[in-house]
Amino acid sequence: MVTRALRAPRFMVSDHPLPWLLPLIVILVVFAVYPLFYNIYLSFHEFAPRKREIVPVGFDNWAQLFADPRMWSAFYVTLFYTGVCLTIQLVLGMAIALLIDSDDPGFGFLRGLLTLTLVIPPAITGMMFLLMQDAQFGLITWMLQSLGILTQATPILATPSLALWGVILADVWQWTPFMVLIFVAGLRSLPRDPFESAMIDGANSWQIFRRITLPMMGKVIAIAVLIRGIDLFRMFDYVFVMTSGGPGTSTYTLSLYAWQQTFSFIKWGYGATLSLFALIVILVAANLFVAIFKVRW
Amino acid sequence: MVLSRTQRLLRAFAAWAVVMLFVFPIYYWVTLSIKLDREIFSIPPKVFSFETSAKSYEEVFGISLGFEEGLAVLPGGGDFYMTPRLWDSIVIAVCSTVLAIVIATLAAYALSRMRFRGQHHFVFWILSTRMMPPVAVAIPMFFIYRDFGLLDTYQGVILIHALMNMPLAVLLLKSFFDDIPKEIDEAALIDGASRFLIFRKLVLPMAVGGIAATAVLCFIFSWTEFLFVLTLTQTGLKTVPVVSSTFVTSTGTAWGNMAALGTAAILPAFVFILLVQKNLVRGLTLGSVKQ
Repeated sequence: MVTRALRAPRFMVSDHPLPWLLPLIVILVVFAVYPLFYNIYLSFHEFAPRKREIVPVGFDNWAQLFADPRMWSAFYVTLFYTGVCLTIQLVLGMAIALLIDSDDPGFGFLRGLLTLTLVIPPAITGMMFLLMQDAQFGLITWMLQSLGILTQATPILATPSLALWGVILADVWQWTPFMVLIFVAGLRSLPRDPFESAMIDGANSWQIFRRITLPMMGKVIAIAVLIRGIDLFRMFDYVFVMTSGGPGTSTYTLSLYAWQQTFSFIKWGYGATLSLFALIVILVAANLFVAIFKVRW
Repeated sequence: MVLSRTQRLLRAFAAWAVVMLFVFPIYYWVTLSIKLDREIFSIPPKVFSFETSAKSYEEVFGISLGFEEGLAVLPGGGDFYMTPRLWDSIVIAVCSTVLAIVIATLAAYALSRMRFRGQHHFVFWILSTRMMPPVAVAIPMFFIYRDFGLLDTYQGVILIHALMNMPLAVLLLKSFFDDIPKEIDEAALIDGASRFLIFRKLVLPMAVGGIAATAVLCFIFSWTEFLFVLTLTQTGLKTVPVVSSTFVTSTGTAWGNMAALGTAAILPAFVFILLVQKNLVRGLTLGSVKQ
């Protein structure tokens, strides 16, 4: 029976994928490819306020980009933010996942509770932590002051050395559960046998974790790092509502800097150039990661 | 691993403590919406005992919750009257979800069932649109929309949200279709059924659970999206996340009102997310990690 189906010409069973894929291709071309080319076009132009129109400027925007200390500062802040958040969320996520991966009563409920942080709009999370880190009546400020860690002279989000950590706290709170849930799902799908033989051979918990759990979780960890890393690198919402990039330039991320150049300072071409730069960095980094860690979809 | 009774108790205690640490800010935020203003600003902060008030909800939604007067609709129209913004959020989230699901279901079925040259690259192209920083789409989109008169319209935001959810929807639905045995399609093909008939009458009903889970995730991501709405709308419409930043005024921030709006915005999302627990991790990883 199967052979007969195989012998039938393709068009007779209308097996061509194009009609199925066409709507998707159209929306991706119109809303992803066209804007990309428009962005490249913009990056070679700039808005001239006197003429009230955009004029071609050649490679000026790109030259300016690499010579702009604020761009490099934003780039560094973005990388630092991505690296720190990713590290904290990975370690904390794995620790909590190991802790709540249990069939004892109540643990299913706990895992359900952890999903709640994921559906809060990041902008609202930002406002939440803005209030909790308020210099006068913020809950976190009050707790840190009571513990003597913080003095009244250093408001968290208005001190250049602390502001980024205030934003990182919000991100860690909202997205550590993301890692936890993925890792718990990964842990649950592991085969039992290697653990049983290791225990019979007398391995201790750390050895089991280091030599069996971690290597077998490799694929799941790689996917979690990839997805989270992409989202961290393009982060915008928290800094926009919590600090607007300040104090000074201490919390400017690339996305925020590009957005403000475009819409606050009417530097349409330069903003587009900055956003393209972020796009190129992210695509190169993500593709390298996929190739090195052999992530498959 | 075999744990003793004490160890299990300790573990349960630690697990509850950690989870409560994550739940606490939500509790604090929700209670903010029913606190009197002076209780919000009290030092030391009042966390568990405070005077309650329905004022925030009354101002934000234009309804009276007073127990003497009963439930009544107030005229609404103050600076913090947000019912229309909630409506904007719902229209945008629902329409963009429907659009994304319709387009993605067709494409995902083809990607799951048919083989064509360059398929691997095609899937990777879809995946790579998930990697684009939203700001790199929002900036050119602002100018394109301006030229086409789509700024500040429902259609504009709905289309861009559908695009944003497309990689998730396609890849996730493909993984659900992959779970349905291909032999079903093949048997029906031999019996002379067309691809579309098989899709509509056989595969679609079997994938309803997966489609519902995908739709919920698309809804949530549209509901919580910030940057596109901020960039592509001006005064005509605004969604809840964007409008919440306008509560910061020159004379201070209306924290109680903002908490009321935030609470109203996250409660439906909480209900939705609890409905898709089973498929949540699969959704968050675009179909690559199964539970």
